[in-house]
Amino acid sequence: MAFFAVFRTAFLLAVLSWRTCQSEVLPERLPLTPESLHISINSTLQHLHLQWTVHKLPYQELQMIFQIEISRFETSKVIWMGNYSTTVKRNQVLQWSWESELPLECATHFVRMKSTVDDARFPELSFSSNWSPWEEVHAHTPEQNTDLIFPRDKLVEEGSNVTFCYNSGINQNISCYLDRELIHGEQLYLNIFTFKLNNVPFIREGGTNIYCAVNYTIKDGTVLFVSKVLEEPKDFSCETQDFKTLSCSWDPGVDTGLFFDGQPSQHYTLFESFSGKKKFCEHNNQCNWEISRDLQETYNFTLTAENYLRKRSVNTIFNLTHRVHPKAPDSIHFNNVGATNATMTWKMPALGNYSTLLCQIELHDKENMRQEHNVSIKVNGEFLFSELMPDTAYMVCIRCANAKHVWKWSKWVTRTLITAEAAPSKALDVWRKVKPEKGLHHVTLFWKPLSKFHANGKILFYNIVAKDLDKKSELKLQSIPAPANGTELTLDQGSYQIQVTANNSVGASPASEIVISGDSGNEEVEEQKINGTKDGFLISWKPLSEDRAGYVVDWCEHQRNLHCELQWKNVGPNTTSTVISSDAFRPGIRYNFRIYELSTEKIAYLVENKIGYTQELAPSDSPQVKAINVTSHSFTLSWKDYDTEAQRGFIQGYRVCLKSKATQCHLDSVAELLPDNSTCCEHAINNPKQKIFLVENLQPESFYEFFVSSFTSAGKSPIGTFTKVTTQDEHSHMLMHIILPMVLCVLLIAVMCYWKSQWVKEKCYPDIPDPYKSSILSLIKSKESPHLRIMNVKDCTPDTIEVVNKSEGTKTQFIGIEKPLTESEFPKPANLYLLPAQDFCVPGPCISFVNHTYSESACDSGSCAHTPVPDTAPPCHLELLASPDNLLNTLEKTHTDSLGEIPAGKISLNYVSQLASPMSGDKDSLLIHSPVPVLCSEYKMQMAVPSCLDSPVLSENGSLSSMTLLGQDKHYH
Amino acid sequence: MDLRAGDSWGMLACLCTVLWHLPAVPALNRTGDPGPGPSIQKTYDLTRYLEHQLRSLAGTYLNYLGPPFNEPDFNPPRLGAETLPRATVNLEVWRSLNDKLRLTQNYEAYSHLLCYLRGLNRQAATAELRHSLAHFCTSLQGLLGSIAGVMAALGYPLPQPLPGIEPTWAPGPAHSDFLQKMDDFWLLKELQTWLWRSAKDFNRLKKKMQPPAAAVTLHLEAHGF
Repeated sequence: MAFFAVFRTAFLLAVLSWRTCQSEVLPERLPLTPESLHISINSTLQHLHLQWTVHKLPYQELQMIFQIEISRFETSKVIWMGNYSTTVKRNQVLQWSWESELPLECATHFVRMKSTVDDARFPELSFSSNWSPWEEVHAHTPEQNTDLIFPRDKLVEEGSNVTFCYNSGINQNISCYLDRELIHGEQLYLNIFTFKLNNVPFIREGGTNIYCAVNYTIKDGTVLFVSKVLEEPKDFSCETQDFKTLSCSWDPGVDTGLFFDGQPSQHYTLFESFSGKKKFCEHNNQCNWEISRDLQETYNFTLTAENYLRKRSVNTIFNLTHRVHPKAPDSIHFNNVGATNATMTWKMPALGNYSTLLCQIELHDKENMRQEHNVSIKVNGEFLFSELMPDTAYMVCIRCANAKHVWKWSKWVTRTLITAEAAPSKALDVWRKVKPEKGLHHVTLFWKPLSKFHANGKILFYNIVAKDLDKKSELKLQSIPAPANGTELTLDQGSYQIQVTANNSVGASPASEIVISGDSGNEEVEEQKINGTKDGFLISWKPLSEDRAGYVVDWCEHQRNLHCELQWKNVGPNTTSTVISSDAFRPGIRYNFRIYELSTEKIAYLVENKIGYTQELAPSDSPQVKAINVTSHSFTLSWKDYDTEAQRGFIQGYRVCLKSKATQCHLDSVAELLPDNSTCCEHAINNPKQKIFLVENLQPESFYEFFVSSFTSAGKSPIGTFTKVTTQDEHSHMLMHIILPMVLCVLLIAVMCYWKSQWVKEKCYPDIPDPYKSSILSLIKSKESPHLRIMNVKDCTPDTIEVVNKSEGTKTQFIGIEKPLTESEFPKPANLYLLPAQDFCVPGPCISFVNHTYSESACDSGSCAHTPVPDTAPPCHLELLASPDNLLNTLEKTHTDSLGEIPAGKISLNYVSQLASPMSGDKDSLLIHSPVPVLCSEYKMQMAVPSCLDSPVLSENGSLSSMTLLGQDKHYH
Repeated sequence: MDLRAGDSWGMLACLCTVLWHLPAVPALNRTGDPGPGPSIQKTYDLTRYLEHQLRSLAGTYLNYLGPPFNEPDFNPPRLGAETLPRATVNLEVWRSLNDKLRLTQNYEAYSHLLCYLRGLNRQAATAELRHSLAHFCTSLQGLLGSIAGVMAALGYPLPQPLPGIEPTWAPGPAHSDFLQKMDDFWLLKELQTWLWRSAKDFNRLKKKMQPPAAAVTLHLEAHGF
């Protein structure tokens, strides 16, 4: 054996030495040189895949090192050198891959290798072989003519580095872009350019476009798809609700789905190691696993997330009974629901009898949870609620979990339980207001509604029963439907016990008693002022008697309203003070508190009466003031009926503000600056009951303004409009003393004159004597002179009518004619002549109508000289005088025609009769009766009086005026 | 309006004129088959609606493709889109088309475009995009049916689909994603051009199908009143 080994070694050495000698002579390969080198390209992975063999391996296997060189473009441009160490077996095809950073399509690659035996067992073989020949490799690019840019449509993860290359070919002006940005590539070899993107971000599902263009014409492009990194599933867990299916769920994280070869988002696989079963999950976040019928107890799940680039796994192992998540209880019912108890039943679905369940029951009312119970069940549950409140809505919540191992509770299920009603449990809080009137008691009862806690149901009505304590008779008065908080009763002045009960559908509450005595409502106590605070009123009182059941303090919450919302507070018998507070109390409102003591017989006696404000405010209005007794030096201010109780504080007094021209205020007043920057003198009245004020020391005939304001502890009422007063004149009273008697005297004289008017008339204006009644007649008769007789006026024909000038007012006189003159009423004088009255003492255009008959006789007597009017003068016809206007016009015309120098309008008609009427004073008869021609020598001639007698000034053309008209005007003799 | 003394006579005269011409108004004179007019109008309206719908869809899809496809002046070479039916045609040639040929070209074009669009829908990455594409395909299917209806009303036979020419857009080894995007771009562009052309085609057809009597218009001058 040893000989054989020595022989073999010697043989090998001989062979090797022979080979060495031979190689020096002939370039023959050394043994163990890699042969049959085949190189393939995986463009997607950018891998060069090398395959080779080692021939004539002397042993079955050898540990060898292969030294590999990779060149790019040229064999001399070696870009990578490395060793690959492996155990080589005889006839084995060796494989090795190299990942290129640069896309393999961008360049031709050359690969060669040599081997070295690195086997300690055969140290004699430790030498390197020759290099294998360079193997040239080109990436397979079918569209080599058109494809310019590589890699094509590469998919990488976010944050990767990617190297691109492009072949500019013969196009020297090629430009490449990344989306919109121009890429400046680095020249790698001749027309091959490269650029590298580091830490690429995810931009869009459609990928990032890299393209090259010549003269803005796209020649080629590629898309870089950047995928988000696949995340490891989180919160992976499995559970069962029915021992039939395990439901596994997890949080998949971000979706890495991309539009790359229609690649979907990542997919998930569930693998259970004990059973060796595997399931592809349809959803990204949950997967259902069928539980085998033999109820495998333990499960070991591996969840694998996988996408195009990456694979991630998570694992969970659990006992099935520890992953029970029951469904919510159902078929929940309430049975035998009473006022204070009820029974609840329910069922647990789907779990069967595999496990015991623990159910949690909670009972809530409106405010909070009242009861909590835990119940163990299999399938059907039942629970009795007790100590419930009557007529109360409860919310019952129930959930269940596996009793042995609580994995997850079921969802809460909520139902409403309403208990039955019960009779009210508490007596009403009742109070009263008594108003005696006409021998009766008008009692207003008030009560506070029972709380829900005590009502035990819906209050339907209130019963009021009044007992006459004197007559011991019972009288059921009223049943008042709810909701009501009071009623009114009219009782006689006897003592009554009143019982009030609240009733619901089940029964009545305990009776609340109150006694109205005969004296109720008649109590009078003095008001006492108290000071309140914003927190309320502290009220204290003195006990009335030793034996008492308690106290009641009542007040009106809204004092100013007509309807008093009576409030009351019950106070214990041993308490003599309390604090009344209310949110309804407002500043500036007066509150009246009456404290009653309740006797043991439930009779209320008024103890004290207190008034106060929580906060006093200044008065809102001022008194209405009147100024009376105004004299020259003073006046009195008076205000009455000023409603001080309606004020917003206790009125402490008044301020009288007086404004005058005087700059200085009187000593008892102070100057006060008003809002309009004027000043007034302010007098203070500190007695609230004083409602009159005398303002003194004033100036006569002076103007004053005053204003009266009230004030409380919080201030005074706002200044309003000042009232104005003017003092009287100092001498006005003296004038009154003089003028009044004078007026009285004048009146007295006037009365006397009227009374003695007849006498005055007789004295001043005696009547014209009647010739028929004259004493001369008796004388004549006695002498019986046949020549002497009385001329009857009727027998006279008026001889003269004078028309005289009259200044004004004649027209009104015409109007005053009640009976217009008509032709028939006038006598028909044959001729009427207009005669100038030249024979009068005053020259002027006096015109008169002349009775010729009488005129002749008069002329004969020589007492008168008339100038006869020519016959040519137009006669005046009386018919022209039918109306006053015609009359006036006619006269005017006539006068103008005859005497053109007399101004028209200044002429009026004077009718003058020379004779007194024989009918004694019947002036009208002068016109009615025709004159009787009689001798006129015995009579004085009557004539129109020239106006010069009335008017002392008369011009040459001045008119003579007479007020004569139908005998109603002045007549001068 | 101020009515003068003779206005009422003018109104009466106009009313009489209207009544006199009423029998000549086709809308009032029809007794039976309404003819292809309404279906042409409906097809025209559907074309305009699809134009509007495509405007929205193309905006979304081109943004999904990314720059430079969503740039306004982008005009890539057609390359793989050469198989798409071209809508552009010489004006004189378009004018010389008879109704049958005009309708046939429309029908064939939309048949092809619809197949391409369905392929596009299969590749869309987002659910929103798939939904929009599916909606548009349904509308385009409706347009195709409407054109078929017009052709049937006019008595033209529907063109028979050539066997074996079912275009698919599955990317092969010769097809890169970038080139696919260019084809998608051309598909949307060609579709838009076809809708423009169809609107003109159907408008021309519509006018052609209207009888001359339908053009009676009554001029009621306000002044005459």
